[in-house]
Amino acid sequence: MIETKLKWHPIAASDDLAPRHVFDAQLLGQEIAAWRADDGFANVWENRCLHRGVRLTIGINDGNELKCQYHGWRYSNRSANCTYIPAHPADAPARTVCNRKYTTREKYGLVWTAIETSGDVPEISLLAGVPSAPLRAMPINSTADLVEEMLSAAVFESAEDNRWSEMSVETDPSGAITFTGSSDKHLVFFLQPLDSERTIIRGVATGIGDDDIAGLRHLNQCLTTLRAAIEARAAQQDRVDPMQPVYTQVEADLATMPDRGEGSVNGIRVRVASKTMTANDVARFEFVGLTGSLPTGQAGAHIDVHLPNGLIRQYSLTNGPAETDSYIIGVKREPNSTGGSECLHDTVREGDILLVSVPRNNFPLRRDAVRSVFVAGGIGITPLLSMAKTLENQRLNYELHYFVRDDDHVAFADKINALTGKITLHKGLSPEDTGKALHRIYNGPQNANHTYICGPGPMLNAAREAASHCGWDDGAVHFEYFKNTNEIDDSSSFEIALARSGQTLQVKSGETVLDVLRANGVSIASSCSQGACGTCKVAVIEGDVDHQDVHLTDSEKRASAYIMTCVSRAKSDRLVLDI
Amino acid sequence: MKLYDFELSGNCYKIRMFLNILGINYDRHPIDFFPGNEHKGPEFLAINPLGQLPVLVDGTFQIRDAQAILSYLAAKYDDGGTWYPTSDPERLGEVNQWMAFGDMITGTASAARLHDGLSYTQIDVKAARAGAHRLFRILDEHLWFAEREGRSWICKGDTPTIADIACFPYIMLALEGGVSLQDYPAIRRWTDRVKRIPGFTVMSGIFSAGAGVEAA
Ligand SMILES: N[C@@H](CCC(=O)N[C@@H](CS)C(=O)NCC(=O)O)C(=O)O
Repeated sequence: MIETKLKWHPIAASDDLAPRHVFDAQLLGQEIAAWRADDGFANVWENRCLHRGVRLTIGINDGNELKCQYHGWRYSNRSANCTYIPAHPADAPARTVCNRKYTTREKYGLVWTAIETSGDVPEISLLAGVPSAPLRAMPINSTADLVEEMLSAAVFESAEDNRWSEMSVETDPSGAITFTGSSDKHLVFFLQPLDSERTIIRGVATGIGDDDIAGLRHLNQCLTTLRAAIEARAAQQDRVDPMQPVYTQVEADLATMPDRGEGSVNGIRVRVASKTMTANDVARFEFVGLTGSLPTGQAGAHIDVHLPNGLIRQYSLTNGPAETDSYIIGVKREPNSTGGSECLHDTVREGDILLVSVPRNNFPLRRDAVRSVFVAGGIGITPLLSMAKTLENQRLNYELHYFVRDDDHVAFADKINALTGKITLHKGLSPEDTGKALHRIYNGPQNANHTYICGPGPMLNAAREAASHCGWDDGAVHFEYFKNTNEIDDSSSFEIALARSGQTLQVKSGETVLDVLRANGVSIASSCSQGACGTCKVAVIEGDVDHQDVHLTDSEKRASAYIMTCVSRAKSDRLVLDI
Repeated sequence: MKLYDFELSGNCYKIRMFLNILGINYDRHPIDFFPGNEHKGPEFLAINPLGQLPVLVDGTFQIRDAQAILSYLAAKYDDGGTWYPTSDPERLGEVNQWMAFGDMITGTASAARLHDGLSYTQIDVKAARAGAHRLFRILDEHLWFAEREGRSWICKGDTPTIADIACFPYIMLALEGGVSLQDYPAIRRWTDRVKRIPGFTVMSGIFSAGAGVEAA
């Protein structure tokens, strides 16, 4: 009767989940890792790293993420999404890599969960609206049935203290065992079946303070004596087989594959919680979910924002790790706006409901660099803020260079001031001086260094050139363009062969590879439609790609291993694609 | 200073960790405990007739037993006098009480680990595990009430003592002998605190804890 997976059980006391600690729990055979993030949220997860099944209770709670000890996989507060896989430092983990999490409540000073949730934590009238304190949990090697039977006959009377005399015992419909005393001194006990032969008694007392050590000791002593009696009887009983929990593991290919994401069709509805100016011409928007927290964005991720005028635009998240209460983006008013930034600045107001995509990451951050150099131009600061915060939380070395016109153009000054890394503002530099400053930044030792550049096209090009000139390896220079200013030449026509489905399709001039794929039923995610964001990337098995995007690095383009299907085409007559 | 040492020994690790906390340089003299059984050979028996590790040699002075070594090192080299409070009789008594408890943990949790991991088949592993659980129940209760009274360490006072060092290793390694710490949440929280002591070192099977909130 107690062992139902639907039912809510306490698995810890609220203060068992100490800051930066991972609590080891179990319920109905299922092993659980519970940890409190710095924002106070109690995460209750299956105690298995998705990777190799290593217990997460030996992991590290860094306040925002839980890191597995063995191969360093990281999982985000609240969402349990895997945010980083050290063996694939250059890839963003697929969104499907997500730990199993259990619904959680905190009530009566206890942390509650259910394996399969229905209903809610039991309402105990004795505990309603009065202060109470949890007793020390009493783990017992016995079935829950025997514990229930013997606990119901327990006595908590004390010679020195009359608070627990003459109590009347009842079993609540929820299964709680209540001891009603005189004058508001009650005891309520919940049973937590760890496994078939292990049970924890979790008591809650009213009329006792957290600091009433003598009272807590007395009740703990009574429970200790009761435990000895229960275990003596349990030792005489026949053994019961342990419960058989089910643990899932992620398939190897999923775990190593970068996020291809869903298309922008499956969006999330958000409300504009605030809209403020964070710099000259830069509006700061905060979006909150209509139902609870939002999907986790990895450092460098962007979202598609569907605008009231029908346009879809991409904006980088400034959020640090595990900041899922809201998405914060910065939107610069573009003088040559094609309707995106103008609409956000002039039409969208606080309180409006918008559709956004789940965060997608085509600008992943490695966390294995000796030194990371962030170079931002203007509004390009946004993804780099999220990256800097991520490295800062892990106490990794980084420097941030922010090229701006003047003080009025410094966006997100609050976030920048809160960073403690090496921050340099480069104000009002001419293109020539910008080039010199970039050379100074990229000069010097580069072993295990990585740089991330985001900003307007000319500045980004200058930074890439400076890095290349100073001898940086192409693979260490990561960048994200806002837009593709290349003139797209779509005059060619060619054949594409789809290796996995065996189809052969014709791309005529004026059509894109992406259009042709979609018209033939191949579902493929895309975002910016101009070869900047990298979402529609597809692997190429054979053929010579006519690259027209600004997403791939020069060496990636030479290798022709990928194509941005929204703008790039074929130089050869035929391309074989890995889809 | 020279330590007769075996990498996988929790008792030797107590000394390595404490020497590191005190910032003392020393030489390691490795003894091939497993599989070589060197600690039962004539050469080592001449150094320690009990045939046990660790043994410390400081100049002309030689001493065995992890707890005895800890008290010697603290009394001699801890300038602050906090690790082994020789001038406070009550605390001193407490430290010695819990160091003896630490040795009982060696006799139970470590014995179970020797059985499971290092082929000590003569050990009654069921009795060893039951003994470890009996001790852990006592320590968990002690630490749970210590937390309620605002204390972080095994003995009274604001700073850790060598009793914390003496109890720590075989608690952390208990699972290697089939003794889970799941029933001992206050012990598990205390092990995080020990791991955050400046100068803490790891050994095979014991990881560091990451930064605490204060340091963040
Ligand atoms: N009371 C001693 C116990 C030391 C002990 O048990 N050492 C183990 C290695 S961790 C050992 O040498 N065992 C061999 C034996 O007892 O025969 C101490 O604390 O140093």
